[in-house]
Amino acid sequence: MSNINFFRKKRYLTGIDWIIHALDYITKKGTGTGNTSQIILELDGAPAEDEFRDCIGNLIKKYPVLHGRTSRDYNLAPYWKISFTKQSQPLPVKASYLDNTSCEADIFSILAQIANLKFISNQEHLFFHLIYTGNKCYVVMTFDHRLFDARGAEAFLEILQNEWKNKDNTFCDKDIIVPAESAHLRRWRRKFIAGQQVNRTFLKLGENAPPRALPLPASLNNRRFRFKVIPFDKHQTDLIVENAYKEAGYLMLMPYVLASAVWVMHRLFSKRNIKSGDYVVPVSIDMRPTDKVQQEVFFNHVSFLFFIVRPDAADHFPVLIKSIKQQLYEQVKSELPRNFQEASLLMRILPLPILSNIMRVYLKGQIASFSFSNVGESAYKSSSFMGKKILNILHMPRVPVPPGLGIFFHQFQNKLNVVLSFLEGILSDEEANELIHTLQSRLGAK
Amino acid sequence: MNLKEIENILAQQIAIILAVDPSKIIKDVPLHEIGIDSLSFVELLVFIEKTFNIKLMESGLTREDFRTIRSLALSIQDE
Repeated sequence: MSNINFFRKKRYLTGIDWIIHALDYITKKGTGTGNTSQIILELDGAPAEDEFRDCIGNLIKKYPVLHGRTSRDYNLAPYWKISFTKQSQPLPVKASYLDNTSCEADIFSILAQIANLKFISNQEHLFFHLIYTGNKCYVVMTFDHRLFDARGAEAFLEILQNEWKNKDNTFCDKDIIVPAESAHLRRWRRKFIAGQQVNRTFLKLGENAPPRALPLPASLNNRRFRFKVIPFDKHQTDLIVENAYKEAGYLMLMPYVLASAVWVMHRLFSKRNIKSGDYVVPVSIDMRPTDKVQQEVFFNHVSFLFFIVRPDAADHFPVLIKSIKQQLYEQVKSELPRNFQEASLLMRILPLPILSNIMRVYLKGQIASFSFSNVGESAYKSSSFMGKKILNILHMPRVPVPPGLGIFFHQFQNKLNVVLSFLEGILSDEEANELIHTLQSRLGAK
Repeated sequence: MNLKEIENILAQQIAIILAVDPSKIIKDVPLHEIGIDSLSFVELLVFIEKTFNIKLMESGLTREDFRTIRSLALSIQDE
């Protein structure tokens, strides 16, 4: 280990990484658990528990970045301090064996419990659960969003699969992989110009602030997240894609599912008689080219689009679609996602408590009406995991609080899944069920 | 600009957007099969506006007009 030089022990954080750290800080402060998420592989068959543990053990040696913590350099840039001394510490893996009578509802209840577990130390960012039931197994990877974004986490599972395929290879020091990132302490003019554009965008978002949002429960401490997961089959997915074409145009699935999400939220908010403010929806987008995810697995390689929807537009679906498409076009044209990445580099000087307050200044205490993403086709490309066929891949993200509410779409093998994630107490179970049923109807998949 | 030139410009831009080798871009394969999604499609439409001064986002063109690089090039030529 002695040949590893000092600079390989740190990975500078980008501005987006720092914003994700701030969201983690806010959520941890409010609910006691940070900005975590989990991916579930639903397998037709049961991978061997000991083989799984062996593969995880090998990965820890190769990727010391998995044990890290945030620090600040002498040049004031924050970085991820990589711990090479923790490589011998195993990542937590727990296995549960359920009897054959366990129904899907039981399993989803267990998955939701796992999604709400805390990491036990500030250097733990990942743990696994294997749930064996009948002829199936659910491989659950719960992760800290500071370490992976959603597609990065999927790509990490692909690394695990490759580790299993090459399990006979012996480990040596040259196998150690440490992600690198520049400190980004040059081209300040470019960052300030980007900052001006982002500032103008936020001022526009805040014109009618605070945005329309569901009230948070009085006490947030130790509140759990709840989830409604709807997997669509191939036929339903084809129907949704066809409806997207008819109502939004060719290759307009993202604006279509976003408009559908706003449309159902508007009905929910109206029923609750929440009638002030606009809908403000940040949408995270992957900035890596599709084929490059495997090369940029760790940390956050996303940026954001910001949509504002006036309530009168949310009443009429064609108007809503048109507004969202127009905003998407204008933001891509003005290179907002790239400028947001650049401008956020300036925010790294701020300590997290201050940054988390500043993030709420523009929208008068709020961050958004709800969170949304359409991850697209999974970055996990194999059809099997450790020799067992994958039936589906699901995401169960906890949403930063505020808003504590989000709708997330992703695809696996051309089949869409949608997940509603909400902090306990924000929605009743009845409201959550109604919301998801209305969404299915709106998408034309029911 | 002739049709071939427009096709080449579009293929080159799609290769940049998807960060792939331009030789991998086949001109008569549907765009969604090359790996274009909503966001990359909008990036392409923005490029078309900046290069050819044509706004296609709300032009009323159908899936067939947009389907491949070849059909898209034809639509641009017709505009």
